[in-house]
Amino acid sequence: MTMLRMFLMQTKMNFVWYFRRDGEMMFWTLAMPVFFLVLFSFAFSTGPNSGSSTFLVPGIIGAQVLSSGFWGVGVMLATFREKHLLRRVYLTPMPPAVFFASLVVYRVALLVAQATILVTVGALVFHVRIIGNPLEIVAILLLGTATFVSLGTIIGALARTTESANNIASILTVPLAFLSDAYVPIDRFPHAVSSALRMLPSTQFIDTFRDVSVYGHSLVHYGAWIGLLVLWTVAGTAISARTFRWI
Amino acid sequence: MNEAIVVERLVKRFGTLTAVDALSFAVPRGTIFGLLGRNGAGKTTTLECCIGLGKPTSGSIHVLELDPTRPRELERLRPRIGVQLQATSLPEKANVREVLELYAAYYAIASRAEEMAARVGLDGKLDRQIAQMSGGEQQRLALALALQHDPEVLFLDEPTAGMDAFGRRILWTEVERLRDAGKTIVLTTHYIEEAERLCDRICMIQRGAIVADGTPADLVARYGGDASVTIAADGFAPGADLQHLGTWTKTGAQWKLATRGEPGLALAAVVTDANAAGAKITSLDMHRPTLEDAFIAITGETIEETE
Repeated sequence: MTMLRMFLMQTKMNFVWYFRRDGEMMFWTLAMPVFFLVLFSFAFSTGPNSGSSTFLVPGIIGAQVLSSGFWGVGVMLATFREKHLLRRVYLTPMPPAVFFASLVVYRVALLVAQATILVTVGALVFHVRIIGNPLEIVAILLLGTATFVSLGTIIGALARTTESANNIASILTVPLAFLSDAYVPIDRFPHAVSSALRMLPSTQFIDTFRDVSVYGHSLVHYGAWIGLLVLWTVAGTAISARTFRWI
Repeated sequence: MNEAIVVERLVKRFGTLTAVDALSFAVPRGTIFGLLGRNGAGKTTTLECCIGLGKPTSGSIHVLELDPTRPRELERLRPRIGVQLQATSLPEKANVREVLELYAAYYAIASRAEEMAARVGLDGKLDRQIAQMSGGEQQRLALALALQHDPEVLFLDEPTAGMDAFGRRILWTEVERLRDAGKTIVLTTHYIEEAERLCDRICMIQRGAIVADGTPADLVARYGGDASVTIAADGFAPGADLQHLGTWTKTGAQWKLATRGEPGLALAAVVTDANAAGAKITSLDMHRPTLEDAFIAITGETIEETE
């Protein structure tokens, strides 16, 4: 009961403090992805029903999963540490694991909102249909979130300041998002390049998520990708757990 | 055990810098204990070791018979101590009520937001956001967060730094009230008057080591030196009847009496004598030794850094 109360209260406060009262954050979280969807849908469209929006909706959701882990969790933790917020919490009976979990759950709630908006706009404006098995869609989304939260936490562990965390996240997010099938199909690159890009966890996640959600493939055919994502997650978690300092 | 805190030969090094050098002290329950020293003397490092924020290089610490360097014991200690750090940063967009409610959840107690806000003079400001509060108000909120769960031991690191007179008075009253309720309080300060007013016992710290300790009155009596009366008056010289008061010295037109006795009585005797002699007093001064005199005598430096 005590833990649950701490967790619920912290999650609620994360939402109120870092989202509801932060206009900039609301804009970046809710409006920007839709803006990207509309912009790229028209930019890449070769005519009606060219399928570019169908490609983009899961791609942008995937990119949001990635940035939630890197920015929403990783950079946020570095900021909390730099502002001595983690130190203060460390002095209380609040378990670090519960504090961490409430940050992740808060970001997952935002992801659900983002995905809902993107799917709705996609359906109403661009006739994008989500035809995959809902359970499989949720499963791959959860795995992707776990992967990028664990990798993002490494940023929060290694960066000593908010500034350096920001820099690391920027250096990683931009190429990972743009070279991972999120916005542009990577098979347009030369074969050697696209093969290399398939080594990235972002490609593995976004491709799988797209194929399952809008192309209706079954997750059972993606065993190799899932295995790799699990490996990334395990490695990310292990490194984070070893290097993260609360104080 | 009667001691709330026992620190034995605590050493803390950061690389080649020895911040705390074999420091030992014990704090009886129900007392206010002060670590007094300049900035950088090792006060904060010592306090941080007591609350589990720093790992001692060597030595031992026990707070309520628990060792804060052991994770298991620290876990049991946390609900029983309250801490106000020098710079507490709370989320900018959080308001007073929310922070108090969240901390109540941390400590698994019923929220006492209204009561706590009133106790630290923030009543009527429950909906004020951190970003809109002054540094002193934030410090008072930090105090409320340290007190809300009614801890047995309170650690305050430079609690009144940056506070105005109002905040200082609130904090002092609160600390004394808690001591009277049987709580133990450890505070670091570089304000002499704060240490003198609040502390039952003071440890003076210089370069990570204790240079003197005792009650404020005891420290002043031992190290503060003599009281003095200084007088300049035309036609005045201390006669035989004033010699028993202490030692007289003359600098220019000024006579100075150094006395171990009560300086107020000496002053009265001197003035009476001067008046009886018909001397015209041009200046008159009395100085009673203070904790600051003791500090300077012990450490060879003033407590405030001179630029």
